[in-house]
Amino acid sequence: MPIDFSLTDEQKELQKLARRFAREQIAPVAAEYDAREEVPWQVVEKLHEVGLLNAIIPEEYGGLGLGMLEEVIIGEELAWGCMGIYTIPMASDLGITPILLAGSHEQKQRFFKRLTEKPALAAFALSEPGNGSDAAALRTRAVRDGEHYVLNGTKTWISNGGEAEVVVVFATFAPELKHKGVLALVVEKGTPGFKANKLHGKMGQRASGTYELVFEDCRVPAANLLGAEGDGFRIAMNTLNKTRIPVAAGSVGVARRALEEATKYAKEREAFGKPIAELQAIQFKLAEMSMGVETARAYTYYAAWLTDQGLPQAHAAAIAKAYASEMAFEAANQAIQIHGGYGYMHEYPVEKLLRDVKLNQIYEGTNEIQRLIIARHILSQ
Amino acid sequence: MKFVAIIRQVPDSESRLKIDGGKVDLSGATLILDQMDEYAVEEVIRLQEKHGGESVIVALGPERFEEAVRTALAMGTDRAVHLVQEGYLDPISQAQALAEVLREEAPDVVITGGQQADWDSQALGPAVAEALGWPVVAWTTALELEDGKAKAKHDLDEGAEVVRVGLPAVFTTQQGLNEPRYPTLPGIMKAKRKELKKVPVSAASKVEVLEQTIQERTRLNKVLDGTKDPQGAASELVRLLHEEAKVI
Ligand SMILES: Cc1cc2nc3c(=O)[nH]c(=O)nc-3n(C[C@H](O)[C@H](O)[C@H](O)COP(=O)(O)OP(=O)(O)OC[C@H]3O[C@@H](n4cnc5c(N)ncnc54)[C@H](O)[C@@H]3O)c2cc1C
Ligand SMILES: Cc1cc2nc3c(=O)[nH]c(=O)nc-3n(C[C@H](O)[C@H](O)[C@H](O)COP(=O)(O)OP(=O)(O)OC[C@H]3O[C@@H](n4cnc5c(N)ncnc54)[C@H](O)[C@@H]3O)c2cc1C
Repeated sequence: MPIDFSLTDEQKELQKLARRFAREQIAPVAAEYDAREEVPWQVVEKLHEVGLLNAIIPEEYGGLGLGMLEEVIIGEELAWGCMGIYTIPMASDLGITPILLAGSHEQKQRFFKRLTEKPALAAFALSEPGNGSDAAALRTRAVRDGEHYVLNGTKTWISNGGEAEVVVVFATFAPELKHKGVLALVVEKGTPGFKANKLHGKMGQRASGTYELVFEDCRVPAANLLGAEGDGFRIAMNTLNKTRIPVAAGSVGVARRALEEATKYAKEREAFGKPIAELQAIQFKLAEMSMGVETARAYTYYAAWLTDQGLPQAHAAAIAKAYASEMAFEAANQAIQIHGGYGYMHEYPVEKLLRDVKLNQIYEGTNEIQRLIIARHILSQ
Repeated sequence: MKFVAIIRQVPDSESRLKIDGGKVDLSGATLILDQMDEYAVEEVIRLQEKHGGESVIVALGPERFEEAVRTALAMGTDRAVHLVQEGYLDPISQAQALAEVLREEAPDVVITGGQQADWDSQALGPAVAEALGWPVVAWTTALELEDGKAKAKHDLDEGAEVVRVGLPAVFTTQQGLNEPRYPTLPGIMKAKRKELKKVPVSAASKVEVLEQTIQERTRLNKVLDGTKDPQGAASELVRLLHEEAKVI
């Protein structure tokens, strides 16, 4: 009997904790921070307090060493409360993962300590104004000068970039080598020549801080190089192959919220003398949403399981991310539809679900890029 | 010193309960650590943090209670004793079974929920004190230990009272006693390794439940018109909430 869908008692407990946290600490402040376009730092502090922040850091470095399955269980719950707020710890894990994958013992000790001893975030800086999907075309330069690298260039759309204690920055030391000329450097907050400018005017996920990072003759110790020169591109891709799975989990959380809100509303709202929940047109929408939530969750768990087993998971992560984010966008869309005119207003939580989850189709590799990965996997067999 | 919290597992207040064949059907309900007992768990942890010693969870109920016991351990208590009994047991019989364990454990302080969210007997705390012959302070909102005694503030019907009692003693909780902490993730991981002793019991209930029904609340549908005299309507609302609804 090798297949088993049950969660361990511990996983059920952490699911319960994350669910309660989302209901009591995240959902009640979500609309406010969305409107103000501000990071709810007190939520970050509380996440740290209960151990839900940066929990993928191994125990020997002060974390809890959570596996991918635990991460997606937590991710679904927190995103149910607010996808934008969930992006804060999720993008921190995105910044931690390259250090996990390629950092030396000394680097892990040095950087992870700063991320576990107090509420603190990490960030991952790959995208630039001139290139996103075509990551190997990045232009930020890293020039070796004695015991340092001198960084020059601009990164953009970097989640947590301004709050982060440590930012993993991808840069080229030899543009002519294309992806083989990329390296990954850990830049610490406050390093002279490193500036973060907050970007304003986001459609959704407005509680998560998104930044432009500017490096001007920024001297970074060579001791902060992850792996070797030329490893950077591979580190970035291996990171994203893992961290897309929590994006899928967050999408499932948003879709579940959409289904719950729509169900509640449909039972209360009356048209033509009866609750609209009694109309088959509405029932079918709810059924479609439920089909999406269940299948996307099951597949996300599968991708997480592959990761925890150490099996190849790049294609599964791509399927999970693209499928779940598209399903969730449609679920949010239908939740608005079921709410009729009210669904279009801020007063109800459903229009925010749509604005928030749109980003899940774009960041950590657009869904077109996910299809490239999936197709490459099919054709390579 | 030794501090004991007696806890129970109950349906979440948001759960929809069904009656099936004259009995409450819990199959669709989310079951949680009783929120009134959560104050008790928080308080024993605080007492231990302040005075040292040991914090122990004691529970009496079916096998499924283990989940709530683990939650209490994950909040930070040291170990647990679970008296496993399936089926209904009235509070007096529960108290007698619990008293045996408590006599053995010999704690200084026992705290439990002021009322139980499921059967709402409000009797468990006083009955335990009675069975042990210890003093009881009900509806406690503040608790301090000094010189081997406890000073406690507790609610009465129309006010409050500060009392001093010798230890050991039993306290029941009231909202406001403290702000219960979340079980933490490290706490959850540690809870798995903490001692949880199971003791099978098969006490006979002195009360037999024949039929259960769910209270249906009828609404008064009273609407106040605030358009003409908003101040007057507001005072009337306050008066009704205070005098008739008795919620403020
Ligand atoms: C709020 C927010 C937060 C973000 N956080 C981070 C972060 O923390 N770190 C980080 O590094 N980046 C981050 N990003 C950047 C994000 O990952 C990129 O926006 C994304 O990778 C797309 O890149 P782009 O915007 O340059 O779009 P482009 O690459 O210019 O793509 C434009 C369109 O062309 C399509 N396209 C491009 N190439 C192909 C192809 N080969 N085949 C088919 N279609 C293609 C794309 O799918 C897309 O539809 C964030 C973005 C946003 C908006
Ligand atoms: C920004 C905005 C501007 C507007 N401007 C105007 C305006 O200028 N003038 C004006 O009069 N109104 C206006 N409206 C109102 C708009 O026309 C209504 O919101 C719309 O008709 C839907 O009604 P409702 O919101 O009450 O939804 P409901 O009627 O409550 O419908 C809720 C859901 O149930 C579905 N449903 C209802 N009945 C059935 C059925 N029999 N079979 C299948 N599905 C059903 C609906 O399609 C919807 O998905 C505006 C609304 C907005 C948001």
